[in-house]
Order: sequence, then structure tokens, then C-alpha cells
Amino acid sequence: MKKLIRSIAFILLFIGCSTDDTEPITYKNPELALDIPVDFPELNSSVYNNMPTQYGVELGEKLFFDRQLSADNTISCSSCHIQESAFADHNPKGIGIEGRIGLRNAPPVQNMAFMQFYNWDGNKLQLEDQPLVPIITHEEMDSSILEVIGKLETDPSYIELFNKAFEGEGITADGIYNSIAQYEYTLISSNSKYDKVKRNEGETFTTSEAQGYAVFQDKCISCHSTELFTDQSFRNIGFPINPDPEEGGRTRITGLVEDYMRFRVPSLRNIEYTAPYGSFGQFATLEDLLDYLDNGVLEADNLDPILKDNNNRIPLTAQEKIDLIAFMKTLSDVEFLGFED
Amino acid sequence: MKNLKKYILSAAVVVAFMSCSSDDNNPVANNVTLEFNNTFGDTPIVLGDATSNAATKNTSDAGQIHHFEEVKYVISNIRLIKADGTEIPYHVNDLDNGATVVDQSKPETLSYVMSDIPAGDYTEIKFGLGVRSDLNTLDQISFPTFYENAGANDTQMHWEWGTGYRFTKLEGFYDTDNKQLSFHSGSTVEGEEGAYTQGVDAYRDITIVLPTTTTVGNSAPTINIKADFDYFLSGESHTVTLVSTEDITNNATPSAHTATEMMKFVENIGGNGTTDHTGMFSVTSVEN
Repeated sequence: MKKLIRSIAFILLFIGCSTDDTEPITYKNPELALDIPVDFPELNSSVYNNMPTQYGVELGEKLFFDRQLSADNTISCSSCHIQESAFADHNPKGIGIEGRIGLRNAPPVQNMAFMQFYNWDGNKLQLEDQPLVPIITHEEMDSSILEVIGKLETDPSYIELFNKAFEGEGITADGIYNSIAQYEYTLISSNSKYDKVKRNEGETFTTSEAQGYAVFQDKCISCHSTELFTDQSFRNIGFPINPDPEEGGRTRITGLVEDYMRFRVPSLRNIEYTAPYGSFGQFATLEDLLDYLDNGVLEADNLDPILKDNNNRIPLTAQEKIDLIAFMKTLSDVEFLGFED
Repeated sequence: MKNLKKYILSAAVVVAFMSCSSDDNNPVANNVTLEFNNTFGDTPIVLGDATSNAATKNTSDAGQIHHFEEVKYVISNIRLIKADGTEIPYHVNDLDNGATVVDQSKPETLSYVMSDIPAGDYTEIKFGLGVRSDLNTLDQISFPTFYENAGANDTQMHWEWGTGYRFTKLEGFYDTDNKQLSFHSGSTVEGEEGAYTQGVDAYRDITIVLPTTTTVGNSAPTINIKADFDYFLSGESHTVTLVSTEDITNNATPSAHTATEMMKFVENIGGNGTTDHTGMFSVTSVEN
């Protein structure tokens, strides 16, 4: 009897101990050095508040590929953001659960750390604000953050990874948003042939590519500028209009008439692999797109002045189109696309 | 014996307190009910589909007949103001306990009961049409109840792409051929209040002087609030002509997601924020 009491006393003592002086577990989670390419524009300032870390990125990548983020566990971020397509896909418009079709073309997820605006209309200014949108959108994953957290909590490996990534905080909504953003910050494409030519790494343009580069500098670079090949401005360039009444382009955000059907100038990096083109996939091929610009675009009050000043077109000869496409293909980064180890 | 004495004393104390509270003629707090009456002018709105005969029809200043199939809006940030100017906020930072979706198709949502309003005489009410930007983030973690109510399949007051709430959702029909009318409002602002980096703020703060002093105490008063949707097309700020062409400078039917002109409607129903702080709202009476 005495022994028993002593045992119980001991147990109580230990319980007391463990609750009273819990040693905070320390998590080693080193920051990852972002490999910032020469001449790229400045980082989005949000990156500094959510610097990629070893486990943050590992967690973000795991979540990016996890179908549990969708209501019926059928799609993940990576269903529409496929590496071989520069983390875009080949559907004109995004396709969510149960085959539901969204409003716009899934944009490539590349060089996000250097972007100041996200999505076609620039509705998000911080990458951390974006992951919730597809999670809750009816035409995408149609879930909710609590539903997602509930699923992840049944998986001990997630609990451990969240703890490692965010100092023992466990599974949180912010942990989901921040880790996905951290992973996406690491998706940097800067090893295309174009980059290697620029960096004098032994590659040279073919004649056609070089001529295409000249055409590009003459007729494209005023919008597709900087090493991201976008000036990140919003422009109406008279592309065929999305018949969905939900579409208004940038005006959806600003409410300004002058922003009607203006869209963010897309990057041209890896464009060879992101067909179809345009905000709702209006053009199946680059040839179609260039033909359209050459033939003349839709008139609009707010049509970009560059087009207005040129009779609503960008005139291109057949040879110029061939050369331009040859040049654009030099922007393909096979390493980034996962075609090369 | 000693114990028994103590026991009796305690019981006596308890009884004393109980009698206090039950006899008290001046309770420290009571309920206040906001009763929302959605109208066209003085006529209550009856909803109906395109060809409904029962639906309440209205004609705008521009001469367009119209009626609604859905009328929903968010009320939040409610404050009652005493005669001496003291503001009594009602869970203004808590959407679960201080915000509601008024939905004409659900009679129970037309009465919003606020509990524990401190006793006193109130002369003014303030509330928000929509959700203040600092709370407008579709934060299911912080406000799961409001999130769920607003997002229910038959309510659809989430604005997913903006990760905010829809503030107003009106669906209906206009002109004699019953063309579709659809108006959704919501905010798209980014950044901190006072220093927004982009977007429009569709939240509107409404201020109404009460026609009768509202006395909270023994009575649990009801404030009858009229939301006159005639203002939607024929408001203080704008006379709107609905169009279904691609003329975006006129307005944005059938969907105001494309609303270059969304703010016109917002100003009509919620005021322009400077000279008009009532929009479509008025208090018709107070039942003390």
C-alpha cells in the first residue's frame, strides 16, 4: 500500500514537473539564400518579412502538391501550375474540382519574388495573400482554410513540419500561406539561353534569334521590359474580350473606367511552354498571337497609346514573326522546367 | 452549530442578492432590436423571379421598371449614441457577434437583436453597410460563424477573388422585357486605412438621428430601419440608367463585378461619405 502511494506521489511529482518547466524546444531552420540573378528588378518587399527557410520551403512545396487543399481532394496547386509548363498549364482557363471552369488563364508561377503585382488584374500585392483565393474559390478548390487545417492535422508529418518551419506553432493558416509563398519565392528562372548569352557563358544566338532580338527591341520591349520581360504595367492591347460578365480586367480592382480590360503585361520567360496565350487563352500559338497583333487589334477608348499610334496594330513581316518566335524560345529555361538535371 | 449558523447566513445573503436583482426597477442593460424593412418607397419588397406577378415592382427616375429576386446586405460596426454623445459600440471588432447578413428571403434575418446594451437614453445610431477594411479579410479562423453564414450556398456573400465579403448582393430584372440585373459590391483596397495602395472602399458608415429617444432599461426597444431600395437607381448621388450594352461608362449590368460604376450604386445606397451619411437608410420609428 505504502509503495503504491509512493508511486502515485512520484507520478504526480513528474506530471507536475513536466507541466511546470517545459524547456522550449528550439528548432533549427536556416534561411535559404535566394539566388538573385544579375539585373533582375528589386524584390517585392514582402519577401523580407517572409524569407524562405529550409523547412518553410519544404513545407510549402509539400502543400503545393497536396490535393487535400481542395474540397474533394482531387486537385492541388500543382494541378494548374505544372513545372513543365513553367508552373502554368495548357488549358485556356483554369479548371477546378468537378471540372469547373474559372475566369482566366492560369498564370505561370515563376520569378514571383520580383513581382509587385500578382494575377492578371494585380488584385494581390503580396504573395502571402494569394493561396487562400484558390482554396476558397468555387471554380477552383472550393474548400475553406479550416477544412484544410482539419485534414492536415490528421497527418503527424505535417504537424512536425509546421513546427520545424514556424518555431513550434503547429498548423496555422498563416503557416500555410507563408510556406507556400516561401516555396514560390524560390521558383526563379534565369538560366535560359538568353541569360547565358547575356552572361557570356559561351552560348551565342543563331542568326534568326539575333534578328528576332532586334525586332523585339524595336517592337516589344516598351512593355516587355526588364529582365523579367514585363514592365508590370496594366494595359489594354485590344485582345479579344472575355465574354464572361465577371471580367473587367484591372477595373475590377480600381473601379476606374480607364482600367477596363487592362491586364498585367505577362512575362515572356518560358513562353514556349505556357500556351495558350492571353488572359483567357485566346491564342493557341505564338504564331496566332503575332498574326493578330499584325492584322490589327480591337479598338477601345483606352487602347494602349503604342497601338493607337500605329493604327491599332504592330506590323510584322512573316520573317520578323519567325525570328521573334526564335528569340522568344531562347527564353526557355530547361533547368527550371525540369527537363534537365 | 457554528457551521449551521454560517450556512444560514450564506443562504440569507444569497436570498438577499436574488431579491435585489429580481426587484430591481432599473436593470443595467437590456436588448435592442434592429428591425430591417426593405422597401421601394413605402412599399415592402416582395421578391420574385423574372415573370413573378407578386414581386414588388418599382420604377426608377430614369423610367425603368425593375424588381428583385434577391436582396442581401451586410450590417456591421453598430454603435448607439447617447444624448450626451457617449458611443456604445456593439462588438464592432467581432464579426461573429457584431455583424449580420440581412437577407430578404429569410425573415429571421430581418430582426437583429443586440443584447446587453447599457441602460440609457439613445438619440442616434451608427452602423456600417458592409465590413470595415481592417476586418474584411474572409478570416475564417477569427470569425468562423459569420464566415459560415455569409458563405452559405444560399447566401453567397464571400467575394473570393478579393478575399473579402460581398457587402451587397442584389439580383433582379429590369425593363418590360425583364433583362437580368445583378449588383454585387465589395471592397478591393490593399494596404492600411488612410494609405491604401490600390482599390476602392465600398464600406459605408451610416449615421441616423433617431426620431424618438430610445430608452434602454426596463424596456427593450425596437428600432425600425427602412432600407429604401428605390435609392439603388434613383439616389441622392446618381440617377442610373441600366444598360446591357458594352457601354461601360453607363454602368455595369448584368454584373457589377465589371463595375467601373460600382461606386455609383454604393453611393446611392450607402451615401457618398461626405455630405450624405444615410444613403437608402432611415429610421421610421422606435418602439420603446
